[in-house]
Amino acid sequence: MNAMLEPVERYRRLIDAVAPSLPGDDAGWLTSQRARATEHFVRQGFPTRKDEAWRYTSLERVLEQVWAPNAEPGLQPATADIAAFHLAKDAVARLVFINGRCLPGLSSLSGLPAGVQLGSLHSALEQQPERLAPWLGQAAQAGVSSFTALNTALIDDGAWVHIAVGTKLAGPVELLYLTTGPGTVAAHPRNLVVLEDGAEATVVEHYASLDDTACFTNSLTEVLLGAGAQLEHARLQDESAAARHISNVFVQQGHSSHYRAVGVSVGGLWSRSEYHNRMQQTQASCEIDGLYIAGDAQLTDVHLDIGHAVPACTSRERFKGILLGRGRAVFDGRIRVEVDAQKTDAQLANDNLMLSRDAEVDTKPQLEIFADDVKCSHGTTVGQLEPEQLFYLRSRGIGADDARRMLCLGFATEVLQACSVDGFRARVETRLQQRLAAGAVMGNSGE
Amino acid sequence: MSAEKQGVKELIRREYQQGFVTDIQTDTLPPGLDEGVVRAISAKKQEPDWMLDWRLAAFRHWSEQTEPEWASVHHAPIDYQSISYYAAPSARPGPASLDEVDPKLLETYAKLGIPLEEQKALAGVAVDAVFDSVSVATTFKKKLAEAGVIFCAISEAVREHPELVKQYLGSVVSYRDNFFASLNAAVFSDGTFVYVPKGVRCPMELSTYFRINSANTGQFERTLIIAEEGSHVSYLEGCTAPMRDENQLHAAVVELVALDDARIKYSTVQNWYPGDEQGRGGIYNFVTKRGDCRGARSHISWTQVETGSAITWKYPSCILRGDGAVGEFYSVAVTKGRQQADTGTKMIHIGRNTRSTIVSKGISAGHGSNAYRGLVRITPKAENARNHTQCDSLLIGDRSAAHTFPYIEVRNPSAKMEHEATTSKIGDDQLFYCRSRGLSEEDAVSMIVNGFCKEVFKELPMEFAAEAQKLLSVSLEGAVG
Repeated sequence: MNAMLEPVERYRRLIDAVAPSLPGDDAGWLTSQRARATEHFVRQGFPTRKDEAWRYTSLERVLEQVWAPNAEPGLQPATADIAAFHLAKDAVARLVFINGRCLPGLSSLSGLPAGVQLGSLHSALEQQPERLAPWLGQAAQAGVSSFTALNTALIDDGAWVHIAVGTKLAGPVELLYLTTGPGTVAAHPRNLVVLEDGAEATVVEHYASLDDTACFTNSLTEVLLGAGAQLEHARLQDESAAARHISNVFVQQGHSSHYRAVGVSVGGLWSRSEYHNRMQQTQASCEIDGLYIAGDAQLTDVHLDIGHAVPACTSRERFKGILLGRGRAVFDGRIRVEVDAQKTDAQLANDNLMLSRDAEVDTKPQLEIFADDVKCSHGTTVGQLEPEQLFYLRSRGIGADDARRMLCLGFATEVLQACSVDGFRARVETRLQQRLAAGAVMGNSGE
Repeated sequence: MSAEKQGVKELIRREYQQGFVTDIQTDTLPPGLDEGVVRAISAKKQEPDWMLDWRLAAFRHWSEQTEPEWASVHHAPIDYQSISYYAAPSARPGPASLDEVDPKLLETYAKLGIPLEEQKALAGVAVDAVFDSVSVATTFKKKLAEAGVIFCAISEAVREHPELVKQYLGSVVSYRDNFFASLNAAVFSDGTFVYVPKGVRCPMELSTYFRINSANTGQFERTLIIAEEGSHVSYLEGCTAPMRDENQLHAAVVELVALDDARIKYSTVQNWYPGDEQGRGGIYNFVTKRGDCRGARSHISWTQVETGSAITWKYPSCILRGDGAVGEFYSVAVTKGRQQADTGTKMIHIGRNTRSTIVSKGISAGHGSNAYRGLVRITPKAENARNHTQCDSLLIGDRSAAHTFPYIEVRNPSAKMEHEATTSKIGDDQLFYCRSRGLSEEDAVSMIVNGFCKEVFKELPMEFAAEAQKLLSVSLEGAVG
């Protein structure tokens, strides 16, 4: 695949060019981590559809363009412009990133309780890189994929959240990632969220665009949970219709920790989100819910890799998809139960609603089990709206379009319920309504 | 161009004639695989030129391929040049009497309640000409001929019914299909051919077991079943008793063709030598099975009980081409000791109103590893397609493994597709319930496992189902506790 080699070379040069300007280059551990990642990236190159994990997802749309990393934004938005993007009314802190760079002027960090460190990863790496050494790169092993390696090679800015032992945040931390032109922009945000033993927090990640410039986001979030820590992690990808987006979330869980995530993907031309969860100590549990909406020309891809390495952990994954127009959705959910991870309870569900003739769903749940005393299951469905349900609503005087919209909303709400941030749920519901109204909600094939 | 081709062909043929003379004397080809071997096999079978050409094309394609590695199985690399690709049945030395047969094998026969004469046949002991099943088979043949059903060895069909073989052979599983299918096409030595004419309901269950000279069908078996419009046929392959077999590598190909309103039911019980406790020896069973529901309302149903072989690697599939076609797959796969199974199915929905059902039950005991791998594809034109998939795995022992890898591709909104998979061990409460009623642990497990597999067993022809149940209990003996 010569066409694939060329972008690798392009990125290699880019890494070489920006390397001197990256923060923390005097910290040996970080420099060697970046070097390893670069080496791995160059050796591995970009995946092709021959790679099992990329079987249904072509990278053509991502690699066809040259993306300028961390480009200076053409305009500096004012605080008022940003307000529309805020989701959590009761956020205790906000960090705003434009084209991958943290803008302190737009961020608000006042009033954080003691025991909470929150700010830009860039400045943390410049001021006290050794502080981050025990965590950065721990959950996201660079060997995992090309995009993880690329992100690691380019570690520059992102959010840095550290919550001390036993500290509980009163409200969500909101992280807003915006992209804007001119030109084709690339952002490689790198986030590190560390919750020490018994800490509790809610983190909202929101990816959006200020204009309809084509951009490429390759975000990576590492989450490390200490014993008994609890994190609610809500993520919304709502970028412009020309955006390409890939995000990797790596979670490492300690004893009795709880990770609850809601991941929603509505925007972008091409988007892929991956969750890699490792329950490394007993009694840990995770719940990941997700919703994806794909309309005309959109491709959305979700990959889950849930690893039960030790006994007595629980995981629940539930993803729902709504397909409109010529939308395409890919779902790949893997649960892996290692040898001796007895008493594992793992369940995964994926339901897809196809509302158009030309949509396509490729779903692939997987169970890999090497222990016997387990309860594991997965279920997948693909279908359209039930005619009986439509009839029920219509017989009560509700118009066909409204009835369909109501049913779609109900379908999505099951997933959104898992999120405790009201503003987040409300935003997704609004976006869903808009998408359903815009993309003609097609009826049953019989009509 | 064509003249040149002709010249080359002649040259090759001459070369082969020389090889042929030496080979026929030994009746067993020396290990190794090249064009000469393919030619020799074809010559021994007295095949026409078109057949040889097809084999050679397959061989050339095979030579360019590498062995696939994606299956969830592990084995030492196979040396394809160390295998002998043809041995005439008579050339195989068998034990002279049952006394020479492995007592363990005999013990299993006794448990399965197999009559003495049949035990001899299965163990490869030379049997008398008056042996019952031979005469039974002759009676069967007469009855089938009256109905117009052709049921014979595929090499015989190549000679006697070339027009049918030419039309259908390779039309479902092309020689380019996959590595093992190419290998099979190049070197297959024998197999079964069934042709059921229009509107005929085959008067009996067909079984390889009753086909004369079928005892040694060889390691590269090729089966072709054609069901003409409105016909019905049920075919049984294998048997519950462990077969004595020296071949380590088996790469069979099965092709089914169902025309309008035809119905084919294909049942397999596979119980080949699984190797010893350490996983030494044992059969590698790499099979390509595919049914083509070509006609409207055609129906193909696969039922398999897989308990043997060190490695089982097969995916009996259905291409649902005709409108209203139905595909079914019912499977029980048991792995114990060091056995590995990677099995499942593909259901390709092309026609309108096509339906498919998949029920897969995997049981892993000891160090056994079991994987379900399946594909359900609903193409844009498959209006109102329906699929239901249920994959359950049962784990017995903390070193066993069970995997599920379903692929689901839907491109039509009117499709209704459901996939469900579960993995668990036998519930302690279930065991306790049975044991508190006086059942031994082994009996309790056997009962629960049989219940777990019931959905599949009920699809087997009746006598077979009873045998399969017994087989399952025997297979799991010693796996518990």
